[in-house]
Amino acid sequence: MLILQSIGAATERLAHAFGLYPLMMAKVLARMRKPPWFFALIIRQCEKVGVQSLPVALLTAVFTGMVMALQSWVAFHRFGAESMIATVVSLSILRELGPVLVGLMVAGRVGASFAAELGTMRVSEQIDALWTLSTDPVRYLVMPRLIAVIVMMPLLVVLADAVGMFGGYVISVHVLDQNPHTYLRNSFEYLQLIDFYSGLLKAAVFGFIIGLVSCAEGYYCAGGAAGVGQATTRAVVISAMSILIADYILTAWIFQ
Amino acid sequence: MSDYSLFGDTQIAPNCGKTVKQGGGAEKPFDDQRAPKISLRNVHKSFKGRKVLDDISMDIMPGESHVVIGLSGAGKSVLIKCILGLLRPDSGTILINGEDWFDMSIEERLRRMPCIGVLFQGAALFDSMCVWENVAFVLLQQSMPRVDARKQAEQMLEMVGLPGIGDKMPAELSGGMKKRVGLARAICHRPEIVFYDEPLAGLDPVMSDVITILLKRLHETMNVTSLTIAHNMKLVQAFSDQVSMLYEGKIYAQVSAQELQETKDPLIRQFVEGRAEGPIRFGFESEMSGQPDANDKGEAT
Repeated sequence: MLILQSIGAATERLAHAFGLYPLMMAKVLARMRKPPWFFALIIRQCEKVGVQSLPVALLTAVFTGMVMALQSWVAFHRFGAESMIATVVSLSILRELGPVLVGLMVAGRVGASFAAELGTMRVSEQIDALWTLSTDPVRYLVMPRLIAVIVMMPLLVVLADAVGMFGGYVISVHVLDQNPHTYLRNSFEYLQLIDFYSGLLKAAVFGFIIGLVSCAEGYYCAGGAAGVGQATTRAVVISAMSILIADYILTAWIFQ
Repeated sequence: MSDYSLFGDTQIAPNCGKTVKQGGGAEKPFDDQRAPKISLRNVHKSFKGRKVLDDISMDIMPGESHVVIGLSGAGKSVLIKCILGLLRPDSGTILINGEDWFDMSIEERLRRMPCIGVLFQGAALFDSMCVWENVAFVLLQQSMPRVDARKQAEQMLEMVGLPGIGDKMPAELSGGMKKRVGLARAICHRPEIVFYDEPLAGLDPVMSDVITILLKRLHETMNVTSLTIAHNMKLVQAFSDQVSMLYEGKIYAQVSAQELQETKDPLIRQFVEGRAEGPIRFGFESEMSGQPDANDKGEAT
């Protein structure tokens, strides 16, 4: 009986948690058709999401590119196919590592920030105050954040892709003594546009996931400081897990 | 301290979009002075099966200062949130200016919101904005030029005794200052109805007196209708025309401030005098007296 009750309670909590996201999505969609759009807030959020996340995203990308080059060299050296390192590095970064790692970094940095910020506003009645000051909190707080993260994620990924490939180039040419011209030629020769576009599509979808999950968790937060902490943790964990699941689904769909 | 007349003679009442003349003008912001500004009929609200508001009905007339008192957890904040539309009642009707806001779209409700001002218990100032931007928030959202909005905000800050702090951030303010900034924000757009949610909570006695004087002065100069949640009996005495006492989700009594002081009702007397002993039981009285407690369910005898 106790087990059944626990399962019931867990299911209820799960349904409640996942019910938040469609609810928030419906609220956002209902408001998309009409102004005000709060462009100044969107720009400010773009700066927070994009510019301020740049160091983290680029650092992650450059080291990932470097590690990829090293690991690929170890594997390809065994059967004399070192020339393929460039292709593997660029394909992996463009298709998978760029969008996924930037997504995870942004989920940790921006998602946590969104959830904590909105959660604090909720428990300190600032969201209620917005409503009483004739301002729709979903329009004012959620939509600019959601739009900003959807727009900025692909831009971050483009830069991360470039920096990641550069990291691979530096290690291959300067540490592993690869020919720079051959490396560059091999980096691009086997690439197709779909490799690049698929990464951008993934980035936008991951941005949407991060924005929706984090904003919903913060917006519907309850329970004081402890509630804000829990909402922030949930925002990061659910965003990260959702990114990985969505990555598989998108990959299977795009490259089937 | 500034005079409220500094706003000039003619204002657009943001509330319903009607032109209102002040001073010598004769026009009123809300046409029917005999109709209640706020009217509640049979309002019920429960959380997880627990009745928080149980058949609440009340009318608040134009210009009236209505104070709601009651124990912590009696449902006072839920009542104010239901009126503000932040919580939807399970049943019953809430009319503001004769309109049921729950029947309206979000846009329509937001259009009517400027007729309301709210001072939240913790002031609820926006951390990311400086003081004057907080105070002028509604004006800025209504696309008033920043220079004019700032001027109006500074006048409001002067009115609540805080001149020259417009550029400070909320984090730099004390609790009392935050309350006064919250008050300035609540009235900056000239609302018809102002809600004060425990305006003296967490303040020292001197600051409590300052806020009480301010509220009274604002009520007299602006002639607003107000609904206040209060525990402080000094505020109730100084500020209320009508007092409703909430007890276990119901309106236990609705009296004038004078009647509140003179009543012999033991439950109201216990609350007014702030005594632990009395018909309201908290479960530890038997420990205090050494006698078995006959009624430890926290209910009135």
